[in-house]
Amino acid sequence: MNNSRLQQLQQLMNAPVESVTMTKAEWTKAGGAKLPEAGDHLQLERLFLLVTKTESNQLQVLRAQAELTPLEKELLSWLAKYGSMSKAGNVSASELERQTRRLGEWLQQSIDAGEWRLEIPERFELHHRLFDGMIPFLLMSEQAENREPSYGELEKVLRSYLSDDMLLIPLREREWLILGTDRLLAEVETNEADLIERGETKEALVSLATGLHQMLTEEWGGDCHVAVGEPIIPTESLVYAVAMLRETIYLGRKFHVGMHVHMPWLVHLERLLSGIPEPVRARFMDEMSGRQDLFTDPETVSTLDAFFAMDCNVSETAKRLFIHRNTLLYRLDKLKQEAGLDVRSFNDAILVRLLMLLYKVTKRK
Amino acid sequence: MAGVRLEHVYKKYPGSDKASVTDFNLDIQDKEFLVLVGPSGCGKSTTLRMIAGLEEISEGKLYIGDRVVNDVAPKDRDIAMVFQSYALYPHMNVYQNMAFGLKLRKFRKDEIDRRVREAARTLEIEHLLDRKPKALSGGQRQRVALGRAIVREPQVFLMDEPLSNLDAKLRTQMRANISKLMKRLETTCIYVTHDQTEAMTMGDRIVVMKDGFIQQAATPDELYNHPVNLFVAGFIGAPAMNFITGQLTEEGGAVRFKATGFNVVIPAGKAQLLRDKGYIGREMIIGIRPEDLHEEPVFIEASPNSVISASIEVSENLGHEMFLYLNGLGKDNVIARVDGRSQLQEGQNIKLAVDMNKIHLFDKDTELNILEA
Repeated sequence: MNNSRLQQLQQLMNAPVESVTMTKAEWTKAGGAKLPEAGDHLQLERLFLLVTKTESNQLQVLRAQAELTPLEKELLSWLAKYGSMSKAGNVSASELERQTRRLGEWLQQSIDAGEWRLEIPERFELHHRLFDGMIPFLLMSEQAENREPSYGELEKVLRSYLSDDMLLIPLREREWLILGTDRLLAEVETNEADLIERGETKEALVSLATGLHQMLTEEWGGDCHVAVGEPIIPTESLVYAVAMLRETIYLGRKFHVGMHVHMPWLVHLERLLSGIPEPVRARFMDEMSGRQDLFTDPETVSTLDAFFAMDCNVSETAKRLFIHRNTLLYRLDKLKQEAGLDVRSFNDAILVRLLMLLYKVTKRK
Repeated sequence: MAGVRLEHVYKKYPGSDKASVTDFNLDIQDKEFLVLVGPSGCGKSTTLRMIAGLEEISEGKLYIGDRVVNDVAPKDRDIAMVFQSYALYPHMNVYQNMAFGLKLRKFRKDEIDRRVREAARTLEIEHLLDRKPKALSGGQRQRVALGRAIVREPQVFLMDEPLSNLDAKLRTQMRANISKLMKRLETTCIYVTHDQTEAMTMGDRIVVMKDGFIQQAATPDELYNHPVNLFVAGFIGAPAMNFITGQLTEEGGAVRFKATGFNVVIPAGKAQLLRDKGYIGREMIIGIRPEDLHEEPVFIEASPNSVISASIEVSENLGHEMFLYLNGLGKDNVIARVDGRSQLQEGQNIKLAVDMNKIHLFDKDTELNILEA
């Protein structure tokens, strides 16, 4: 069960509720049946436990610190057994594909029409599955045409990686939207009791997207680009999320050749530069002429990339590059002598950062 | 297990008139540890990615075992990859990370468990199986990434700069670990690096690449002692081989190499080869490894025909050895590697004897090693 549903349940029950994992042995030890099923429940004084999902030896259990009435227990048990608490839905694979394709077409039409703020209409069968907090991933495959796998094949791989309640929505040729539960963010944490801080969300999203890219490369077969956005309530903002992720991949591929995982919060400057008319960009590069050769030397480029990634902190950059601080200072001084730009000064750092970004684009022309 | 064969393989990217990899021919033996090495942009990673199936092959054939795999998807090539970024699955623990690929391929549970635990034991990460990636150090993550590849028991391992995210100490340690592991697993491994130390210490055979072309494919010993051209000679070895451009002359039956600060006699066998190939009177490049310049009096006395004089501009004493940066020889600094206990000082004028049996001679135009051609 994802975080937003847990919060809703918590409010309804007016008691702390969490989703935990237990082994079957632990369940039996606590007084439960030897072969537990979704819907089984236990009341241990003021602690209510309800099995929401079973998978081999592991149980997904809802734990509420409350004493429930028999009717409340039966209702929750019924929900876990037959409702959407434990299952993604009982539609067949081909029916699910049809439903997701229909939604994908609507998303595409909305983006084409510039209607980025549209909410998902209730007429879509999948509407009821799009109320919970979900993480949007956009996948663009670069595989050769004859190797494009079926929807079912890709969905199976993604279910194994994310969870059963993920959704795969085909958009265009070789482009898919993947919605994973926001519960994954908590699962990235080393200690499940840890609450994920807002600042850590992006870090967790990056690691999930990087892992997803690696998994797809190894297990699905082929090169691809993955973009990830912050969790959304899909009914409210799915069109916007898809448009933004698509733009993110476009900018990432344009400005950061060789990178395959892209985040919207890391391409603000690129978005701005992309919007500048070509003649203005060319003029800027011309005015900086004589300094562009800086970016042909891989050592200088990697040094500057690391320097900017570490917020222009000399000590941290040296650590990251595994070089002595003095070696880094020597490289920066050399750059200052050769290019007349001292990246330790704020204004020069901006110019060099812009030059590096634009050079990557103009170099390929 | 299987060998890998590349036959006339080319990689051309759309819109580029130059091939990134040109006419790559190589037969990689079963169980061989092959290293692709070269500077940035030489085509080594592209070659590996073509073997992995992550890049299309523009022309030529790729065999894994006896099967042509040009059109086989990466997941069906029976290979396992370990890349520089080695991203782990962050929401799964170490056990689940290692088991994931097998689970997806519907292996039996007990078989998955056996393979994961065996690989964990080999990599000494058994105690980490319950941990999430976030709780692991860089070295531990790297071992998990290796573990994920090992459990697959693939025909071929492909590794692309797998150690470059680690600090120097850990890199040295992991280098030895990977070498040991691959020997134990007896599986073909193709390893890409730009680090020649990694290449020399790990590879059964090394392929040196430049600008998309194979420069030389040979054992580490062969590459070091018999480089086929100026590029390989300069790329392999640290400090790099010294190159001095000069003139070959014949005086009184002896063939001499003359350049600024140099007037040395070429040994008879090599001299005859130079005569036969018509190099007398022509400009050429002599290559001398830093350790083939000797300051020991015994060596100098025994080699009167190859003594040179120079002044020490900078000396770097590493304890067990000392690097001398010498002035007055050819156009650039010449580096000598001498005993760390030498009492030599910066600014001092010294005499050195060149071990003429170990010199290399390169054609100035073709840059080929004349003695190896």
